[in-house]
Amino acid sequence: MKALRTIALVAAAIVALVPLLWMVATSLKSNQEITQAGTLYPHAPTLENYRNLFSDHDYGSYLTNSIGITAISVLVSLVLGTLAAYAIARYRLPLQAQRHIGVGLLTLRILPPIVIIVPAFLIVERLHLLNTWIGLIVIYTAFNVSFVVWMMESFFREIPVDLEEAAMVDGDSRFTAFRRIVLPLAGPGLVATAIFAVIVTYNEFLFALVLTSTPSSQTMPVGAATLIGRIDIDWGAMSAAGVIGAVPIIVFALLVQRHLVRGLTMGAVK
Amino acid sequence: MAAQRTARARLQGAGFDRFLPYLLLAPAVLLVLAVVVYPLVYGVQTSTKFYRFGTAISDVGFAQYRQAWNDPLFRGALWTTLKFVTAAVAIETTLGLGLALLCVRELPFIRTLRMVLIVPMVITPVVVGIVFRLIYASDVGLFTSLSGLVGGGSIGILDNERGAFWGLVFLDVWEWTPLIFLILLAGLQSLPQEPFEAARVDGAGTWRTFVDHTLPMLTPVLVVAIVLRSIDAFTTFDQVYVLTHGGPGTATQLISIYGYDTFFRFQQYGYAAAMLLMVALIVLACAFLGIRLIRRQAATA
Repeated sequence: MKALRTIALVAAAIVALVPLLWMVATSLKSNQEITQAGTLYPHAPTLENYRNLFSDHDYGSYLTNSIGITAISVLVSLVLGTLAAYAIARYRLPLQAQRHIGVGLLTLRILPPIVIIVPAFLIVERLHLLNTWIGLIVIYTAFNVSFVVWMMESFFREIPVDLEEAAMVDGDSRFTAFRRIVLPLAGPGLVATAIFAVIVTYNEFLFALVLTSTPSSQTMPVGAATLIGRIDIDWGAMSAAGVIGAVPIIVFALLVQRHLVRGLTMGAVK
Repeated sequence: MAAQRTARARLQGAGFDRFLPYLLLAPAVLLVLAVVVYPLVYGVQTSTKFYRFGTAISDVGFAQYRQAWNDPLFRGALWTTLKFVTAAVAIETTLGLGLALLCVRELPFIRTLRMVLIVPMVITPVVVGIVFRLIYASDVGLFTSLSGLVGGGSIGILDNERGAFWGLVFLDVWEWTPLIFLILLAGLQSLPQEPFEAARVDGAGTWRTFVDHTLPMLTPVLVVAIVLRSIDAFTTFDQVYVLTHGGPGTATQLISIYGYDTFFRFQQYGYAAAMLLMVALIVLACAFLGIRLIRRQAATA
């Protein structure tokens, strides 16, 4: 039984990894080896595909855009979302307004983003913000905010309000109490939320595809996808693009693996 | 006592503090109103106009909704999407549950395995599309290379309709089984131990214990996982865009791809807006039903 279990789990790991290894192997072959030799692993490994990607295909620019847009959007949404979540968790407003706002944001989270793609394009076009960072940043921030509020509110609720009251009795202002007591306690939750937001934002494709068409504004997923359309498929460049696109997010996932499982499943379960 | 009262007063709101919650809420709420709610309204308005080559030429009211409903391509895409979601989620749930049951008693390499299984779901969906194109391709793909080793010919999964559809389903299974696995693993680990100990004392077999105890207690978590994954799978776009862009023929033309093409390729903005709003209504209705189902499960559990 134990042996059977081990075999099943090892098989699962192999199925998860083989497709990725095939992409890495392809990216290290010359185009001649890819199309004609049919080898399983690179017999004459070369970095030619990677060099081409940065010299012929503006790939550096795609990565810069992706990382810049993701960083700004996640930071802003964390600040705005955390403040709003604190208000929803700690105050009772007239007509239960804080609860209605919470439910409203949750409903918007279920809404598939593709539904606003047409109006978003028309509005962004009218504002002359096509092919800019700012257009994407504002949209990503708005989607992230509703998610951050939803997650952080539940973390704040878990922290007993007595702790803040005690600190305020001792003379702290509300802000100091928030900074000294609440924020450190909600820290792990904030990290999990941030990780989830980074992954979702870095990976986003549809809005970037529709709202940008120049290498100076396109993000990594769009850059990788446009490689496919050109002439016939440059398999070498495409696989190298896939590897480079996946590396930042895998490194990031490894760095924060302790929080990751929590962030990913909570984003789903809560 | 007096100090406590001042603190409470400060918490409940007096002076400046009375406006504080509104101040904290305002930026987030205004941003979401401007970027999500306003476009939704604008989208409804757009859906009542007829566009040709990106220019609105006439007001047609809600006629384009009826047009979508009678559009064989729209219906076909809806049907394909439904088949895709059902097949993918059913396979993912079965495999995810199996893996979670195997893993619930910790093994030495469980951490490594968990890390490995997380990779497919965190990497960029577009890259997932690239990965599977590289595997399925008839000229340079993994299957063709393997078949070459044993003297076989080329294998092109994406060249025929059935192959492309199931190729897409397998892509989704590869990418998202880990999510169901993680949710169910967390669910299994949080189950109380007593019923299992009692069952063991009674001499119940593994299968009986599973059917009598594990499954009923796990059902609420199972429903959550299935509902969430189905909602998400319903608007799958990125992977299909890269893998097949709907082809061959309309074999993998999911509703999101048809909506995107109507919008961006054929520039029928109004018609696309109407179709996508209908899709959103379907998703919201499913989500609503799902949430009710979860609530009822929670109430009876």
